[in-house]
Amino acid sequence: MNHDIDIKNTRINCFRQSKIKGEFLLQMRVPGGTLDAKYLEFVQHICKTWGNGLFHFGMRQCFNVPGIKYESIPAVNAYIKEYLEGVEVGMCNVKMDDTEHGFPTIGGRNIMSCIGNEHCIKANVNTFALARKIEPLIFPGHYHVKIAVAGCPNDCGKAHFNDFGMIGIAKMEYHQERCIGCGACVDACSHHATGVLKLNEFNKIDKDDCCCVGCGECTLICPASAWTRLPTKFFRVLLGARTGKQEARMAKTFLTWVTEDVILQLFANWPKFSAWVLDYKPEYLHGGHLIDRAGYQKFKEIMLDGVKLNPEAKVADNIYWAETEYRRDIHVKPLAEHKKAGPGATSGH
Amino acid sequence: MGFSLSLEKANAILNELKKEYRIYAPKRFEKQGRYSDTDIIRYDEIDSIEEIVTGEKSTYSPKEVLFPITQTILYFTEDEYRETKMDDKKILIFMRPCDINARKVQERIYMGNGGFDDFYYKRLREKVKFVMMECTKGWDTCFCVSMGTNKATNYAAAVRFLEDGILLDVKDEELQGYFADVAKAPFEVEFIEGNETVVELPQIPDKKVLNAIKAHPMWDEYNSRCIACGACTIACGTCTCFTTTDLFYTQNANVGERRRTYSSCQIDGFDEMAGGLIFRKSYADTMRYKVLHKVHDYKERFGENMCVGCGRCTDRCPQFISFSHTIEKLNHAIKEICEQPVSQS
Repeated sequence: MNHDIDIKNTRINCFRQSKIKGEFLLQMRVPGGTLDAKYLEFVQHICKTWGNGLFHFGMRQCFNVPGIKYESIPAVNAYIKEYLEGVEVGMCNVKMDDTEHGFPTIGGRNIMSCIGNEHCIKANVNTFALARKIEPLIFPGHYHVKIAVAGCPNDCGKAHFNDFGMIGIAKMEYHQERCIGCGACVDACSHHATGVLKLNEFNKIDKDDCCCVGCGECTLICPASAWTRLPTKFFRVLLGARTGKQEARMAKTFLTWVTEDVILQLFANWPKFSAWVLDYKPEYLHGGHLIDRAGYQKFKEIMLDGVKLNPEAKVADNIYWAETEYRRDIHVKPLAEHKKAGPGATSGH
Repeated sequence: MGFSLSLEKANAILNELKKEYRIYAPKRFEKQGRYSDTDIIRYDEIDSIEEIVTGEKSTYSPKEVLFPITQTILYFTEDEYRETKMDDKKILIFMRPCDINARKVQERIYMGNGGFDDFYYKRLREKVKFVMMECTKGWDTCFCVSMGTNKATNYAAAVRFLEDGILLDVKDEELQGYFADVAKAPFEVEFIEGNETVVELPQIPDKKVLNAIKAHPMWDEYNSRCIACGACTIACGTCTCFTTTDLFYTQNANVGERRRTYSSCQIDGFDEMAGGLIFRKSYADTMRYKVLHKVHDYKERFGENMCVGCGRCTDRCPQFISFSHTIEKLNHAIKEICEQPVSQS
């Protein structure tokens, strides 16, 4: 068939161009990677009716349906109305004026998360509950950002490899009177975490609070509930990771010991920051690059604007990422080619 | 003497009692469980009837009231010592029949064993009265009926919790005084008559079989399954082991206090002797020691089994080692050994 397709528009509509002419792959968001299992049948129907029968687990926990013909897109979009209304509007409180025409934006990527404390014995938080709360702050949105939520510092949720990665952590309470001095927490902390515990000469535990990562291994192993998590949930927020062909890098800590409330205030500022960097002209550029253009200090200023930090919160004074430069001096170029941020910034991409 | 009380009246009496008694009951500690957003239920002083957790088994046993996990027992100076003091308040503990029976088991160790009374246990025990919580359903890991610990009679009062009040049977005369203006109502406490888990009690006929049991491969699986955390023994209502630690001034080691703290046969180092000798070298050994102690060795000495079938060890094991299943495996091993042809050795 002789196609005339605006593939940028189909991409924004979450239909990804295939190597096979006229075919597309539908990417359906699954905020927090966890859904009512009834949607499996729903997705299966799309695969069998309009796709080529294959199904792919999206790398960001999307439902990926390959082999959809361009002509089928309106029918698929009409069919996924129920999904958008159930998952985005109903489950995540996303404001969508139009649910008739499929996904409206691809900018804010699917928010990934591990299973979290719904199931996992290691997790400190309900990961997908947080993902679902962040969802309406970044979707629909044309500014590209990758977000992940991990339930504990094991980081199966890959918080270290996203623009923003949240890791659920817990502040521990030590009930000395319940401690039997077995030293199991000391071993667990040194084997699995940062080794901040020590059995003192009186058979109780001394803790070096400064380097506790809040993982909860002490609580998991304690036979007597001498270590318990405080009820308030805390997070470490990692920043600025990226993969790719130029300068891959792992995230560094931006915030630690912040509450969920702080995180939600933070993401409410993300569209504001992105818009400022790109001078209100969204382009296909991920969050980490926007931070690079603005510089960390400017990023911090805009992102923390009006955010009320909880008393325990700590913020990175500066961040020094370590990049894998695939070409030496990749950032060294004529001044005229430097990317600019803020008012008057022109697209250099 | 039976009484029926509204929650309001019961709380009013509770407040009166609190002038004379410390009142302990299983209480919920939210989000303090091993896993995130799980609770534990342990014994603590209560201020109202509503605080008592009646619909779930407590994570930890009421032994913590009489035998605290950490207890300062005496203070010492250069040439003398004095025991810690206690206030004059008496103690009421709400506990289930299995836990009341577990008192008897611990008390054979702490009181009278070898003709000696444990001063620190005894002085607390003398202040205590039990309020028996009626328990007619139990939980999946309970096997009190098999152990014969589903019933208890040595209580000061027995209680049934209703949605809007309580029914009481008050036997203790001193307690009866608090109910002078409460209308009498007939109440006879009931007991559980059958558990979901039924355990056949191991019968080890002689020392030869016992020795064969010790060498039996049934214990080997625990080398990889048990992590030696000791959670089973801390939650156990009958474990009595403790160790003592002296806390002393860093600049004058002759002055300080002596504490005793729970210990556990399941944790590393428990049976390490001076000189480094270790009796039970593997987790199979420590498991065998614990299991035989609970359902055989103690009985050989005192005539009754140590285990009361509360199932807390199973509930607390992070590795899903079920004590009742272990007893079943032990029964199989005994049968296997007893049915073997007698060897020459």
